[in-house]
Amino acid sequence: MKNIFKQTGLLVLILLFSVTSSTEVNAQTNDQEFTYVKVEVKGLACPFCAYGLEKKLKDVDGVTTIKIDVEEGLAYLTVLKSKKPLKETLEKIVIDAGFTPSSIVFSKKPFTLKDEN
Amino acid sequence: MISFFIGLLVISGCSENKKKKQEATNWKFSKEIPLGNISPIGIVAQGNFLWLSDVDNNRIVKIDLDGKIIESFDGFQRPMHIAIQEDKIYVPEYTSDTVKIIENGNISTLAQKENTDAIAGIAVDENTVAVADFYNHRIILQQEDKVTILGKEGHNDGELYYPTDVEISNDLIYVADAYNNRVQVFDFSGKYVRMIGWNENIKVATGVKVTDTQVIIADFEGNRVLIYDLNGNLLQIVSGKFNQPTDIEIVSNKMYVVNYNGKSIAVYNK
Repeated sequence: MKNIFKQTGLLVLILLFSVTSSTEVNAQTNDQEFTYVKVEVKGLACPFCAYGLEKKLKDVDGVTTIKIDVEEGLAYLTVLKSKKPLKETLEKIVIDAGFTPSSIVFSKKPFTLKDEN
Repeated sequence: MISFFIGLLVISGCSENKKKKQEATNWKFSKEIPLGNISPIGIVAQGNFLWLSDVDNNRIVKIDLDGKIIESFDGFQRPMHIAIQEDKIYVPEYTSDTVKIIENGNISTLAQKENTDAIAGIAVDENTVAVADFYNHRIILQQEDKVTILGKEGHNDGELYYPTDVEISNDLIYVADAYNNRVQVFDFSGKYVRMIGWNENIKVATGVKVTDTQVIIADFEGNRVLIYDLNGNLLQIVSGKFNQPTDIEIVSNKMYVVNYNGKSIAVYNK
């Protein structure tokens, strides 16, 4: 009987541990749900260009926000991590929008935008 | 000797005509209207008020001549060059590829017969609507059930490269052929008529306004406004007060030029 109690207690402990771990995993998933992308673009000079690029980038699967910095020639994307786009996909979109991509940087943390300084 | 004097008279007459023409097109800076946080693209006049598309803030605003906002309509998706007819404000939405109409405070949607990719400008003349289809490098002319396509991607006569604005005047279509650095003129059948602005090295021909006698072009990167007669002869170049001009409106001998980056309107008197 004592052994049964011991085994049940152990089982309860294991279950509790697994539930706690699972919550932590979920919490980590929430924290790391997004991928942040900074696209540097040459020739992003006018609002028609900037908002044209914004229009094209909106079609990227999993994009939740887009911010364009016309003066700096930068586009910032927040994308669902599960749908992280390929660099080549983004390059093609930038080219199709009429621009030349300079660099595309992926980050686990949000980029600091100029107007957020 | 007689022919010499006749020649002198002719030259003198021409010179006088030229002087009159120049006097008639001598736009002089009057004042600047600051716009606060409005980032204007398009402008139209309605009585003593001006309507602006505020692209960064996704809204259309009606201002008085001091720049004070009288009315604001929010929720547009990157509104660009607007048009007005009979108190209806036509608003092309760059992102949604639709044209919205503001009338007496209500907003409706224009029925379009052709798909577009980024509408940068619109012109309306009675039952004719022309839209600048930016990414498809063309103008779509819609006359009730009839649709005519003007231009195609390219750099030759009659071809377009990222058109951003369009005007209808006297049965002709004037297109701000932005990245071909010129304005091109078509008839209603889509036939190329003429080119304006090629000799002046325009950097980006973003906006166009046509009056009974003049064609006015906003040079976005050149920070200039260029004024031509209807045949494309240069009459005047205005500069010095512009910071990325995008559009022009002319009312009662006053010219209003919107500065996108300057967040202001430069006012000129004739």
